[in-house]
Amino acid sequence: MQELTMSDLSHPKRRNLRLVRVFPGILICLVVSSVVAQAPALPNPFPSTYKPLPRTDTLIDNATVLDGIGHRLLNAGVLLHAGKIIAIGQHLQAPPGTKTIDARGGFVTPGLVDVHSHLGDFAAPYTLRDEKVSDVNEESSPNSAEVWALHSIRVQDPQFARVRAGGVTTLQVLPGSSDLFGGRGVVLKNVPAVTVQQMEFPGAMPSLKMACGENPKYTFGEKGQFPSSEMGNVAGYRQAWIEASEYRRRWDDYYAKQDSSLRPPARDLKLETLAAVLRGQILVDMHCYRADEMAVVMDVAKEFGYKIAAFHHAVEAYKIVPLLKENHVCVAVWADWWGFKVEAYDAVRANAAFVEAGGGCIMLHSDAPISGERLTLDAALAMGAGHRAGVDIPEERAIEWLTINPAKSLQLDGQIGSLEPGKNADVVVWSGDPFSVYTRANIVFIDGAIVFDRNDPSRQATSDFEVGQPAIERPQ
Amino acid sequence: MKHVLLITLLTFSSTAIFAQHDTIAITGAKAYLQPGQPPVEDATILVVKGRVQAAGVGLVVPPGMRIVEAKGRIVTPGLMNSASQLGLVETGTPDTTDSAVTTGPLGASFDVQYALNPNSTLLPVARADGLTRAMVVPVASATPPFDGRGAVLRLSEGPDILDLPQAAVVAEVGGMVAPKSGGSRSAQWMLLRSALDAARRAAVPSTLHKEDDKSTLLSPANVAALVPVVKRRVPLVIVAYRESDLRQAISLVDDYKIRVVILGAEEGWRVADLLSSRKIAVVLDPYASTPTTYDQMGARLDNAALLDRAGVVISFKAAFVHVSYNAGIAIREGAGVAVANGLPWSHALKALTVNPAETWGIEGHYGTLQPGMDADLVLWDGDPLEPMSAPAMVLVRGRQVSLETRQTLLEKRYRPGMAGDPVPPGYR
Repeated sequence: MQELTMSDLSHPKRRNLRLVRVFPGILICLVVSSVVAQAPALPNPFPSTYKPLPRTDTLIDNATVLDGIGHRLLNAGVLLHAGKIIAIGQHLQAPPGTKTIDARGGFVTPGLVDVHSHLGDFAAPYTLRDEKVSDVNEESSPNSAEVWALHSIRVQDPQFARVRAGGVTTLQVLPGSSDLFGGRGVVLKNVPAVTVQQMEFPGAMPSLKMACGENPKYTFGEKGQFPSSEMGNVAGYRQAWIEASEYRRRWDDYYAKQDSSLRPPARDLKLETLAAVLRGQILVDMHCYRADEMAVVMDVAKEFGYKIAAFHHAVEAYKIVPLLKENHVCVAVWADWWGFKVEAYDAVRANAAFVEAGGGCIMLHSDAPISGERLTLDAALAMGAGHRAGVDIPEERAIEWLTINPAKSLQLDGQIGSLEPGKNADVVVWSGDPFSVYTRANIVFIDGAIVFDRNDPSRQATSDFEVGQPAIERPQ
Repeated sequence: MKHVLLITLLTFSSTAIFAQHDTIAITGAKAYLQPGQPPVEDATILVVKGRVQAAGVGLVVPPGMRIVEAKGRIVTPGLMNSASQLGLVETGTPDTTDSAVTTGPLGASFDVQYALNPNSTLLPVARADGLTRAMVVPVASATPPFDGRGAVLRLSEGPDILDLPQAAVVAEVGGMVAPKSGGSRSAQWMLLRSALDAARRAAVPSTLHKEDDKSTLLSPANVAALVPVVKRRVPLVIVAYRESDLRQAISLVDDYKIRVVILGAEEGWRVADLLSSRKIAVVLDPYASTPTTYDQMGARLDNAALLDRAGVVISFKAAFVHVSYNAGIAIREGAGVAVANGLPWSHALKALTVNPAETWGIEGHYGTLQPGMDADLVLWDGDPLEPMSAPAMVLVRGRQVSLETRQTLLEKRYRPGMAGDPVPPGYR
């Protein structure tokens, strides 16, 4: 059994290898950058200080197991040791000192991975001041590539605990979609913490949030600023990539000379992030609803040689499944949001099922905590709609939309996203079929530690915000 | 002539062929005939001229009726969303949005009924999720705290969708709308009381100086809209979340003897017994679990169960973008969430049918499958509270409606396997 450690993923060589495997389309770009430019690994000045919670080796037994990679095992167990999954299957023996959880009648799945969340940067409670200025969007410029969602996160957002109780163990928190370039996203482990670094997923690649369509156009156009049209949006992307290419070239020249006596080029936070995208060190997560917009944006990515990990909110993905496949771009969708704006008018509930049936990559995301608390029900909605449209997706496949597929999109599938030996013990024990409205997550593990237990109040963390609030306490 | 229609899972087949008033016999149903009671197995429901003629076990099906074999599947009354903007919204753009009057003199008197769009593409989506009635409430007016007057819709096909106009007057209080009342929620309650005082004066025929009533802060038209409230003919809807506001609403009932419906009530569980004793109905969002605003500090998923246990008549609204766009699925899945958090299943079904009927004053013709009621009913392909389930057949006032929507038609156009077709989708 090969164990991937955190340092494996943060090592630049390993990361490049993994990129190539998952996304062969960017092979050339990476080879060029590593041979010629010798740009160093992307530094993280705000490194993770995450430590797993206290844990006990555990055998979860007698459950229906959906392993996240297409299998359904009946009467099966999952054995957790030292924070890793070490075995999965029937008739597992619990080694001495191992606690056994009898999950008879229940289901076990990997911890859910929410690839599009705003917890912490759009923290509850929402206030009237947030209507004008909030932490989710830096609206002073349509290109805010220099900002990082990490720096907005309020770890005491009470919503983290709500989605933890819904089985979400990993979440990518993104900036909003007001800007063409919204800034960097960050991947968090959904553990109660006091600083954001304590939640930061060690070694996870950052992402760059970008946005298509109505939000940037109206945010700036209605203020009389650029961009004020869809064509303005695309011009804004391309102009920025031209500048970033030039910035990257300056730095690559500097690295190539390997002369420490030379004065390095001036740093620019905005261009630093964009250049890292061009080097393949940061993947783009792009808010984009319409099929025609996605097609244009994929051509922009080809023009400048960068990689889009996923289109988010891609309500029209079902119209261009072969094109998405060809470009190796995943899509993240809601099950049923539609109509609330013109670009969401053509949404269909079978979207996810159609992308899956067409061989594309699909994920369900939350965007709003109301969905993050019940991602499996969104999957159920999509499965039901698919069924009525003639596409049957089995549960063991649909669970991938919430587990291994987002893990791949985040480049973390070596560590999370499935129940396989060697992976992190991020596991959810459900009271029943997770796609039923009556089912609830009973126990949630992150790295082998119980972070939520519905039947044990001592394992139900609340945020500091909720402490001493008379409105929350039960009246006598 | 005797048709036997085998209802199968519909894959794109239009069901609009039976568009006239049907005479339909649904047989072999697991039917929820009595609110709050267990279902009746092997039930027959006879639908004639838009109404339920009879429902029960062992009924003889008269010759000539179209027979629909339910084969043991669930039949419920058509569902009702208790607070939506169906018929008033389309794409979120101002030109397709009629849910609020934000400038001009109309406040409490604003009435949504003249804007209703029966050709809205939202209505078929709601119908295909089993919704046959909906309360439509205005939002965010120019004369706070009043938003205007709401109406009940029936989700029939065709232009005839207005079921009950002026079903309620809607007011909104709380921190998030306080700036519109000058900056304090206290002003909201003062304005409400002042308006009710004026309406009381206007309701007395001997008071013939309505135009001279200088003590009111509202225009005569807005005062007139409140007269049915003080006469207890329609409820005053108060959008409120925080316990202090709920207690103010309770005081209003005590002081003015009016009927009040609370919309929101995230902290309703804290005053459940008081709400129950004043017969204040509550329309709630069953997904509310978190302090979304400071007014909703006490939000919890068992709010529905706790209010129901105290005897409060509860019904459901949806949150966020689902309010109207997913007006059907959001409340039935939401009802399931409430069941997962302690609400008995049969009470959840009441909260989707007979409870909103009572709350909005249409219980005389909608809400149950009792003889004489409008035949709004749904034959389900599974448990109606499960997101994977959907209606196999929907009747609105005895007519079978199509389950086709813009969405199912787009799905048909782009179904998997069509990708290699050289003919553009526009020709399909």
